[in-house]
Amino acid sequence: MTPSPEKTPSVKLAWAVSWSAFWTGFPLKLIVALLLLAAGINPWEGGGLIALLLVSIPIDIWALGLTARTVFLERLGLDIDAPVGFTLWWQGAVLGGLVLGISYYAVSGAVDVGKKVAAGIIGLIKKVFPHFPIAEQITVELLLWTIPVTILALVLLLIWLKLFGWCIKRLIASSGTTSSASYFERVRQWDSARVPDDVGLMITSFGAAMVLVTIAFWMVLPVTTPHPHQDYQMPEVSKPAKPMKPEDALKKTENSLAKAEAILASLEDAKSKESKKPERKGK
Amino acid sequence: MMEHMGLQPKIKSTVRCLDGPIGEVSHVIADPLTLEVSHIVVKSNGTERQVPVETIRSADENTVELSCKSAQVPEFPAFVRADFLSSKEVEIPHLEDRIHAEPGEIFVPFPELERSCARRTFFTGFTTLMGVLIGFPFVWPVLQYVMKPMYAPFDNRWWKIGNTSKIKQEDIGVQFTFKKSFRDSVLQREEDKNNWVVKASPATLKQIYQHGDITFTDNVGNVVWVNRATVPYVAYSGKCPHLGCGYKWRSHKTRGQVFLCPCHLSIYDVAGTVLDGPAPRPLDVLPIKISPAGEIEVIDIEFKAGKREQVRIA
Amino acid sequence: MNALFQQVYDFVEERIGLKTLEAKLMKEPIKGGSRWAYVFGSVLLFIFIMQAITGMLLMFYYIPSADHAYASTQFIIHEVDYGWYILSYHFWGSSAMVVMVFAHMSQVFLWGAYKKPREMVWLVGLALFGLVMAFGFTGYLLPWDQRAYWATTVGVEIMDKTPVIGDFLARFLKGGPTPGQMTLSRFFVIHVMILPGALMGLAGLHLFLFRSAGPAGPFRGTPDELKAKTDFFFPRQVWKDIMAMGVVFLIISTLALIEPVQLLEQATPDPGDYHPEPEWYFLFLFQLLRWKVFSGEFGQFLGAIAIPGLFMLLLVALPFIDRNPERNIFKRPIALLCWAVVMIGITVLTVSAILNREFLD
Repeated sequence: MTPSPEKTPSVKLAWAVSWSAFWTGFPLKLIVALLLLAAGINPWEGGGLIALLLVSIPIDIWALGLTARTVFLERLGLDIDAPVGFTLWWQGAVLGGLVLGISYYAVSGAVDVGKKVAAGIIGLIKKVFPHFPIAEQITVELLLWTIPVTILALVLLLIWLKLFGWCIKRLIASSGTTSSASYFERVRQWDSARVPDDVGLMITSFGAAMVLVTIAFWMVLPVTTPHPHQDYQMPEVSKPAKPMKPEDALKKTENSLAKAEAILASLEDAKSKESKKPERKGK
Repeated sequence: MMEHMGLQPKIKSTVRCLDGPIGEVSHVIADPLTLEVSHIVVKSNGTERQVPVETIRSADENTVELSCKSAQVPEFPAFVRADFLSSKEVEIPHLEDRIHAEPGEIFVPFPELERSCARRTFFTGFTTLMGVLIGFPFVWPVLQYVMKPMYAPFDNRWWKIGNTSKIKQEDIGVQFTFKKSFRDSVLQREEDKNNWVVKASPATLKQIYQHGDITFTDNVGNVVWVNRATVPYVAYSGKCPHLGCGYKWRSHKTRGQVFLCPCHLSIYDVAGTVLDGPAPRPLDVLPIKISPAGEIEVIDIEFKAGKREQVRIA
Repeated sequence: MNALFQQVYDFVEERIGLKTLEAKLMKEPIKGGSRWAYVFGSVLLFIFIMQAITGMLLMFYYIPSADHAYASTQFIIHEVDYGWYILSYHFWGSSAMVVMVFAHMSQVFLWGAYKKPREMVWLVGLALFGLVMAFGFTGYLLPWDQRAYWATTVGVEIMDKTPVIGDFLARFLKGGPTPGQMTLSRFFVIHVMILPGALMGLAGLHLFLFRSAGPAGPFRGTPDELKAKTDFFFPRQVWKDIMAMGVVFLIISTLALIEPVQLLEQATPDPGDYHPEPEWYFLFLFQLLRWKVFSGEFGQFLGAIAIPGLFMLLLVALPFIDRNPERNIFKRPIALLCWAVVMIGITVLTVSAILNREFLD
């Protein structure tokens, strides 16, 4: 029971491809973001963001290719003879940039207007109920402007999905061929597409890459907190004592010892003289 | 046709076709999704064949009647053990409660997706690798974390422990206790420590310095202090070099006045030499300084117990 | 080497039947095949193990005394190598645990997996949910800073409003009429001994019950499709579980780096400039209690005890009320609506609580 490509809603198709492609690429991008963060580079702005976006390109092309082929094969029974990942990536990216650009202005405009309208409505409510409590006011105001903004954002997302779905359908129409395999064989096909030809090589190289990434993480991870508490007094680190000259120290000790012995001797002398004089003092 | 749901053919019962008996039921095959019997395995002339339950006309205690002729039986697929899993080899809840097959076995089809060997090897290998790697980023930070206080730099501070005037006689052990205050993680603590000081006679001094001056170093090997035989006072660490107990100055029945450790009965003479007992090395001498007024100062060095040679640890 | 390994394996196999054990643990056919939607339970187990490990490591340096708890936590953050990372991981791990519990419960709810014959799995799961919340609540006090002290003070006052046992419960937790050393000791023991023990026991029971009842599988699909995709728990589902664990590990580490734990001032019964607030996953309840409807003694009881209590009771009764065997969420509009309302409600109240901050400065 395979639905024909023409009858599958394009939004559904776009969602199936982009959702799984997102999660397929996400862990790899996260590794890069984590490394940047550990190195003290903010991955959400400036050079960090550019690095992250650059790394994302091959990851996204690979992820889109893998997941789109799976969706085509499993749900639509189609084999595609085209660079699926690259085609979908640039089309999705162009559309994404377009829709994201429009969304930025549309949503931020809607937020401004929404907040003003919500504040106006709250003002009206306050005229009727002068003791409208603050906690309720916050929630009502929040709902008043977030509901329309959320709907707008969802609509924009749907527009992107619809457009992306059209791209996918065009790709299918131009280079898709109906697979003759049964449902079971198709499941097997896309499943095997994930198994590399040389299993041992793949696992070893992946493992080695992960070990290298981990070591890089250890090298950049700060040893002490990057955000110390303003009032925390670090204990004064005991500076390495200046290398002492044992000869000097020894001479000093010997001198003082000689003095001590002289004092002791004189004390003992005095004591013995004293004890000789009054021989039986106690009794 | 009979109701197939919940059918429970008896193992070993005779299987009859429309035209006579052909063999017996040896095992049953179940559907892992519905937990119902899907096939019976019929053993006929030494070969086992899978017969779908739809073919069964009726079944009672001893016989299973099939709705086909004996000539049709060879058309049923042969039962290949490798294509199936026994209920002992998989975990399917309630399967064995629903279907009884002793003395035979219940079989379920081997999942098609698990048949590809390369695939299984790949996912098994990958899973094992990830399982090993998942905690890997923690290894170094955790090691450093637990090691933080373990290799603290040596404390080379001098402690005033008392005055030589306390020592009235040569060659006897005199205990000096002092309060040592230090930072112990977040706590500022004070501990009672104890050392022994001996005013050595020339003979004892000669014995102690028989290998020359005694040098003390810090963790990187820099010389911190040198004790010389010109100083007649010798301080011993209060820690027994055997296993770290606190020893005493006691009189011994045959050996006279000695240092005696109550834990394992190590006995040392006034020069710290082992006279008897399990101790592996003489008492540990500490760096000592005597001020003109006779104030004794020592560095409270700690050595590892139980070793032949001295290993400084604090 | 291999021969030695084989000998050891055979020795163990002969005594405990490793092969059967392995078969029973690993070769569980998964109806409709392994899925990413099934990873939440395993991920929770992983987060718990990581919490246990980081928690034990923190106890290497933490001192559960009112005089030293704050200083020793600061010591971990500022002086012990990577202490800040381990503490921040533990802190964000607790949030991840709560998020994952919500995800797991949502998945089970939307998949209709709480229905017969899996009612007991659901009930034990709810008890585990309670334990996770208790973990968060008790752990919050341990650093003994202003945030910790005040969240606990308010939390215990809320519990005090429980009918009949409230007063006893509050005194039991505080170890007296007011918070102090006894409170810290009790929270510490509950956090590091009682709750982990209870969680391990109940999680074991949860898994046992789950294995006895069997996984629910997808809520739609023809028998042929289900059969075509069926595979074993190992290796594919385990692989998915581990990948998900890896992602969660990365997310928690990332959060620990973005926002490492920073303590406020040491706890004192004078809040100073600090506006007390509980951990973010209790914020929605906290905000609810600011509503006028929930003022006064009765209102307080209603908002703090009755409504959350009734909600939990409803969840307990759910598999017994909802006896319709239909599992497809798209054919259970009331269930879907209820889930959406609860999730949106929690989100809106949480955001409200954050917005409410600016009205306090």
